[in-house]
This record gives sequence, C-alpha cells and structure tokens, in this order.
Amino acid sequence: MSELSQYAILFGLSIGVFGFVISLYAFARAIGRARAEPGKDVPATAGTLSRDPVWVRYHARYAGYALLFLAFDMEMAFMYPWAVVYREEGLIALLDMGVFLAILFLGLLYGWSQGALRRQ
Amino acid sequence: MMLSGARQGALSGIRRVIATAMSRDLSAFVLPGPAIARSRGLDLAGSNLIIVGTPRHAGVLIIVGPIAEGLQDAAAVVYAQMPRPRAILALGAGDIAPLPVADASAPLTQDGLRSGLAELRRVVEAGAFHVDAADFTAAALEVRIEYTCPMHPEVIRDEPGDCPKCGMTLVPRETSAVGHGGHEQAQNMAETVDHSEHAPKSDDSCHAGHDETAKDAAYTCPMHPEVVSDEPGKCPKCGMNLVKADGEGGQGHEGHGTHGGHDEHSSEPVDGIEPHFMSMVELTKDQPRSSDGLQMEWIEAPFGPFFPGLPAGLHLSLTLDGDTVAGSDARSLVGMADLPGGTAMAPGQFVDHLAAMQLSPIAYRALACAAIEDAAGIAFGADDRRARAAAIERERIASHLSWLAEFGVQTGFLWLAGRAGALQLAVQGAGTAEIVALAGPIGRLIRRVQAAPLMRMRLRGIGRFGKDRVAWGPVDRARGGGSDARSDDATLKELGFGIRVRNGGDALARMMLRCDEIDQSIGLIATAGTLAAPMLADVGVVSGEGAASIETPRGAARLTVTLTDGKVTGAELETPSTAHLALIDDLTRQRELGDALVAVGSLDLSPWEMRG
Amino acid sequence: MTVAIVLLSLALGAYLLAVIERWAVHGHLSLTGPAWAALALLGRESVLARKSDRLFFEIGPVLLLVAGLLAVAVIPLAPGLIISDLATGALFLNAALAYVLVALIMAGWGPNGAYAMIAGWRFLGQFIAYAMLIVMPITAVAMRAESLSTVQIVTSQAQLWNVIYQPIGFVLFVVAAMGLAWLPPLDLPDATGELAGGVEADYTGARLAVLRLGRMTIILALAGATVTFYLGGWLGPWLPPWAWSAIKIMLVAAAMLGVGRYMPRIREARYLALSWKLGISLALANIFIVGVIALVVPL
Repeated sequence: MSELSQYAILFGLSIGVFGFVISLYAFARAIGRARAEPGKDVPATAGTLSRDPVWVRYHARYAGYALLFLAFDMEMAFMYPWAVVYREEGLIALLDMGVFLAILFLGLLYGWSQGALRRQ
Repeated sequence: MMLSGARQGALSGIRRVIATAMSRDLSAFVLPGPAIARSRGLDLAGSNLIIVGTPRHAGVLIIVGPIAEGLQDAAAVVYAQMPRPRAILALGAGDIAPLPVADASAPLTQDGLRSGLAELRRVVEAGAFHVDAADFTAAALEVRIEYTCPMHPEVIRDEPGDCPKCGMTLVPRETSAVGHGGHEQAQNMAETVDHSEHAPKSDDSCHAGHDETAKDAAYTCPMHPEVVSDEPGKCPKCGMNLVKADGEGGQGHEGHGTHGGHDEHSSEPVDGIEPHFMSMVELTKDQPRSSDGLQMEWIEAPFGPFFPGLPAGLHLSLTLDGDTVAGSDARSLVGMADLPGGTAMAPGQFVDHLAAMQLSPIAYRALACAAIEDAAGIAFGADDRRARAAAIERERIASHLSWLAEFGVQTGFLWLAGRAGALQLAVQGAGTAEIVALAGPIGRLIRRVQAAPLMRMRLRGIGRFGKDRVAWGPVDRARGGGSDARSDDATLKELGFGIRVRNGGDALARMMLRCDEIDQSIGLIATAGTLAAPMLADVGVVSGEGAASIETPRGAARLTVTLTDGKVTGAELETPSTAHLALIDDLTRQRELGDALVAVGSLDLSPWEMRG
Repeated sequence: MTVAIVLLSLALGAYLLAVIERWAVHGHLSLTGPAWAALALLGRESVLARKSDRLFFEIGPVLLLVAGLLAVAVIPLAPGLIISDLATGALFLNAALAYVLVALIMAGWGPNGAYAMIAGWRFLGQFIAYAMLIVMPITAVAMRAESLSTVQIVTSQAQLWNVIYQPIGFVLFVVAAMGLAWLPPLDLPDATGELAGGVEADYTGARLAVLRLGRMTIILALAGATVTFYLGGWLGPWLPPWAWSAIKIMLVAAAMLGVGRYMPRIREARYLALSWKLGISLALANIFIVGVIALVVPL
C-alpha cells in the first residue's frame, strides 16, 4: 500500500472522528438543550462565584527548561533518520552522533550550572 | 414526580433509558465535605457513589446536616453550577433554603444514607426529565454591573464615568449582587486583562511632556548620541551623517535619561531604538514584581469553601502570579468561636452549643464540661477522668485519620484517602477493645504512609513559617515546640503520656508527628481501659468562674466560663485554628500553588472553631 | 476490513480501560459502570462557560480523540492487523501524540476559568519534562530495529524483547508515557485535590464524554506503544498473536492506571528537574549503550 493511500486512510479516520463526535453532540442535543440559568455559566470555583476573566499573561516558571527543550528537540529531529541507518553505518555513525550529543549535553550542563534548570 | 433540577422534556423513549442510567450512576458532591460526613459517621465510600470534587461533574448534591448560615450562599452557587438533571439528598438537614426542597430526605445515619439513596434513585429515574422545569434563582447568583478603573481597582462606581484619580473611562465589570465582588482590596494588586493595555498608554501620556526637557543640541549621530555638533557633517566615530537632535532620523534621542525626577535610574539611550522607548522593566517599575523580577498579570482565584482536600467552610482566596501564590486572603465562613455573651444559658445547653462545632465535638464537650465543673467546684473520680481522657484520645485518633484521608485526597494518594477514611469510621464510636484490635491495621497504614514513594519529595520543606509566629498543637510540636495541654494533666501522666515532638517545622514533620500521636493515643487508650463520652454532672445553683484547657486534636483550646446562679453568663474561648489562620499568609507566599495548598492542608484547620 | 477490526478492538479496549480506571480512582469494580456513566453523561446538560473561547473550548476534546486515534492507527495488533503500516510509524506516533499538548492547552484556555487555565499551563511544563524522554528511548529502539516502522520494531524483538535489551529506555518511556497521558502521580493538569478537576472541570455532558473517551484512547495508544517498542508486540508462544497483544496491552494499561493510587502527586518543579537532570542523562546514556551493543551483538 503506497504511503499516500495510507495517509489518506489516516485523514479519513480523522474526518470520521469529527463525524462521530458531531453525531454524539447531535444525539445529546436531541435530548435537550442546556438551560441558561443565573450563575450556571460561571466557571466552577468551589462555591464562590468568580466572574473575573483569567486570560492574562501566565508567568511560566519553566522558561529555562523550555529553551533547552527547543535545542534538544531539534537534535531529536536529526536523530530519527540517523537511528534508522545506524547499524549499517557502524562505528562512524556512533562517533558522529556522539560528538553532536556531547556538544548538546555540554550545553545542558552549562545551563544546569547557570541555574536554568530550576523553578524561576 | 419531578426533580427540582429536572431537565426540560417529556420522559419518553431514549430519555427514559438515560434517566435509568443516571439513577444507576450517581455522582455526588458532598456539602460541606466528605470529612464532615465521615465525622458524623457516614460511610459514603462504601455505598456505590462516585464522589466528585467539583459540582460540574456531579448529579446529586448530598447535604450532611443543616447548612450553616455562612455557607448558604456558597451552597446556592454550587447547586446552580451543577448541570441538569440534578438532585438533592438531604441527610438530617431540615430547611435547606435557598436551595429548593430536597428530592430525598433521610436522617443523618448510615441507614438513613442507604434508604435515602434508594429513594433518590427512584426519584431520579422517574423525574429526571419533566415538561415543566423552572429556573433556579438565588440572591447569591444575581449579577450587578459595577464600573471600575483599570489602573486603580479600588475605585468602584455604580454608573459609568471617569476615574477621579487618573481620568480614564471606567470599564464595566460583573460582580455578585451580594457579598463582596472580585477584587475589593486595593492592596491586593490583582490586575485585570485591561491593565497591560492601559499601562503603556498612560505612561505615554505621562511622557508627553518629556521632550522639552531633553538637551537641545543641533546635530547628533544616530549611533553615538554623545557626539554633538552645531553643523551637519559626519560623525567622527562611525562616519554616519549627523542628524538633527530632535529625532528627525528617528534614532538616538540623547538625553532620554535626563528626564527630571521621573525615573531615578535613568535609562541609557539604546542605539537603534526609537525615542520614548521604555523597556518592560521600566514601564512596570512601580508595580509589584514576581520573585524573578518579571511583572506579569495576577489573577485572583477562590479556593473555598468547598474545595476538595481543604477544610470545608474555609474561604481561601489566592492571588496567583502564574502558578505561584502572590497573596492570600483566608477567613472562615462558619466560625463559631464567638460565644454569645450576656445572655444566660443553661449549662447543658452551653455544652451542647460548644459540642455543635463539627470536627472534634467530644474535645469541646469535654472542655465545656471541665470549665463548668471547675467553676462549680465539682471534682471527679479517677475512673471518670480516665474515661473522659480516653474519649478525647479516641477522637484524636479519628481526627488525625481524617486529616490523613483529606491529605490523600489533596495529593492524589487515593489509596490513603480510602483506607484512612475507612479506619476513621471504624475508630469513631468504638470501644477500647475494638480500638486495641484496630491497632494493627492502623499501624500498617501509618508505616505505609511514611514509606510511600514520593512522599518526602511532596512534603519536605513545605509549609515552613517564621520562628516568631504563634502555633499550637501538632503544628507547634512539629517544629520542636513544647506546647501540649496534656503535659499538665495528672490523669494522662498516670496513663503514661509523654509529649511527642519532631523537628523540622514543615509539612513532613507534621504528618510524621500526627502519625506518632495516633500510635501514642492507641497506647493511652489501651492503658486506660475504659472510655466514656464526657457527661456534665448536675451543677446545682452555684456561681463562680472556671477555666479549663484541653488538648484538642488541633492544639490547646482554652475556655473560661462565668457561672451565675447555675447559669452560664459569660464565656471566652480561644482555639488553635484562630491562631493558625494567621499563618496562611506566611505559608503560601511565593509558593507554587500545589505546595501552597498542601501547606494549608497540613495545618489541619477547623473553620468551625475560628472566629467568624 | 482491518480498519474495522482494529477500531472495534480499540472500542473494546477503551471500555475495559474505563472499567479499570473506575476501580483505580473510585474503588469499585463494575463491568456495566462505564456504560451507564456514558449514557448519563450524554444525557446531562453541556454547559458552555460564559465569555469562553468557543473555538478552543470545542476543539480541545475532539483534538484529544483525534490524536489518540491517529496514535492507535500505527500500533500493530498482529502481523497485518494494523490500520496503517507507515514506514515512519514510530515518528508518526510521536507526532500524533504531540497534539495532546495542543488539546489540553486549548481545553485549559477555552473556558476562561482559573482552575482550567492553570491546569493547562502546568501541562505545558509537564510536556517539557516528558517530551524528550519519549523521543530518546524511541530512537534507541529504532537503532536496534534499523527502521521506524512499528511492525519492523516488533519483528526485531523476535530473539530478545527490548525490555531486557534496553531496560533504562523502558523505564524512561513508561514514566514519560504516564506524563503524556497525565496519569497519577503525574496528573498535574487534572489534579482533584489541587485544582478540583483542572482541565476537565469546566466540561460537562457530551463534551466531557468525548474528553474522557479521548483520554482512554490515548492511554490505550501509549500502552500499545510500550508493548510494541519494548514488550515484543504480538510475539509469544502458544496463543495467537492478537491474543498476546490484547493481554499485554491490557496489563500495561492496568499497571499504568493502578500505580498512581499508591503515591502522592509529584511536584511540577521536581518533575522538571528530575526529567532534565537525571532523565536526559540516562536517556543519552541509553542511546550510547544501545549504540555500542547494537554494533557488537548481532541480535
């Protein structure tokens, strides 16, 4: 089976899921609509009504980790094809990627020493 | 037959099947909380219910006991937020206004729970859908629009207009019609979404007048603002053409840093960047900062009164900066520690009033009895004193097990939540022989908790507070303190009591200490051999003043009463939770949200014994 | 045809998982429980939070289900019984599961509620912790199999399962998979005691049903991935291959669901620190060790 037809099946599967979900929602809607009452549509917060919006800039404390993650993610993109041809290529492949990984690992160690790997 | 919270529709066809499904799969939200239900002897876990932590996932609202006055609004909110069809099961609750009439009622016993649930299932199956369904309204749900200034949240008006402080147009905001709205404290420093948009604008207007103060040179280099010249030409440093100094080239506005008194630390002109540019750090100079120097918007989120894992009735509102707590505001909605003064009360009534504090009623009953007996000058025989002490120790075991169960819910340690809850129910109401028999399972539970993986990581270092703060009970003994009202008690000394202490002062030490105390209490009860709930002896018509202090499971409680002609005319009560409430701010400041909530939980507060 | 069979097995598996999850969380084991619960959920009102981001609010649960299904599509249940045997199956699995993050962030941001929003962003922190530890062990597995196709990865384990060949990778992958499916003790976005339901808190009715179904599918996909990458897929004596797949996947999923009951939730800062300090170092060491062994030993 060609790759294209496989992806076509997967695409069809996703569309099928959307269809399934929509039919579920239609079924639920056939049973009845949600009744709008005072206070019901406020997000539930343990007994106190909190109507203030919460769409604010979120202060994420893991920024250091996120930057290192970007670097490693790019590395992993290179490692996938490398892994497939690894055994054929032999020791050279190990050394090549070893150097790459070592450099990135040194970057990780540097970040660690500078305090990037902690809750900011 | 119709549920008060039925869905609109005729009960036919598929809806009938769904109503049957709902009656088989009941998900319940317990009011005021599963801990209160357990302390009244209800075994909710064993009855094929799914207990959920948020009203959104619940189909049944189970009300345990009468709703306290301070919780009525919150109960209405919780009920309103449950999706229909929703039902109410009231166990010993009486009139549950402002909620609608309960769909099933039963007395507050385990049998009552069973029969109430059976009746509820019948009612749900028959009445989940009905052609007439009415809205539920309550005063607590009404909305009122108020107008506030984005820069000054403390300015609140009822009509649109301008802010008296800065002249900006007030923006509308929804708020509850009763009680207090979202942000009312000016010092809360919570900021809404609009704030960040307005801050630069207002700062720009502030800076409008700054151009004139800049140094007035004729020509300058865009890259090197310190190079000034009276005629056009080339910069000696980089060779660029000199431009007019008032920003014609748009760059290198020198003198940006010499704006009078506006900033104390002047900013160096940054090459290649527009004039009037202020970095985020400068823009937000006077605003509260997070611990890492950034200034982001804060939100205020309520975590009470019905938050799973926290004590029910505690209104905790945290100002969150991301997932870090920047401020907290805690108070009790159900405090009963302010005793009625002036009116004369029969001693029996007074004792009952004090024992009505849910969570450790026996200790407070013993406290009231001891104080009145002290005022009346009655003394007891050794056996009676031992029995009373053993009853208090039994309650200590039950209370600590309940705390362990709530801790399990809070940290997702579900096995602990179930097992500790079951053991608590077994201990409550057990005689000495049964308690000694339970020593084995309880001991195994404690060892397993203390050795659980990730437990130390979860608790170590969390919940520390300053050495100068006042604390009682296990919270104090877990930091090496020595306050224990039982140290002065001769009866307990006979039974072999020795104060248990741990050093560490964090949530881990508190948990370990409570486990130690459970072991110790089992030993004390075994030695005592008899156990009886405190009973008030006949006081007679006497007058006098008396004081007593009992070590409740949460700390020492002190009561002084004044008896006049056999009636209680004055009383003052000091409870440990009142002091601990003041610690919450210390415990939660700059902590991650999960850590903050575990720290609050580790205090083992009882909102009922606080001042409300 | 195979598509239909796999989807049916998925439905059955998801139902069994729902039964196991109900036991793990609430303590009662009931075979008809999830069926009644699903019907009850469909019959409940679906409340839309006010001033919410409607698009995100609706797409969150659906995207979760789509991600789970696409991930399941590359898991082989028996030779030939796979929805699509892509040559880059392992990579596709990873790519599909990346949408879990998008779905949860949408579910967190959508309802404009405090608990949900914090839960969504906490999940992003969790993602940064587990993402590398899912990918690096897969790389090591692909090194041995010389292919990214899930079928090839299973057949490469004919002599020796990867769980013995690369135990470090196995442990890292399973823990990271639990982080991806936000199973306790790594259930930061869904924390009952800390966030009263978190991302799930503002969903009710049919949307909640889709969200829970999506989650079951993802757990099933991850159990399937663990079995495919480390536990030999359909390989085993006596029983037919699909039976082995079913048994192994159910056992792994039950273990993943059950283990969280016995320990408290991890703290986010510790999870990130452990993942990046200990986890990445172990994962890199794993790649290196597997690299050496793969060159030396012709297994």
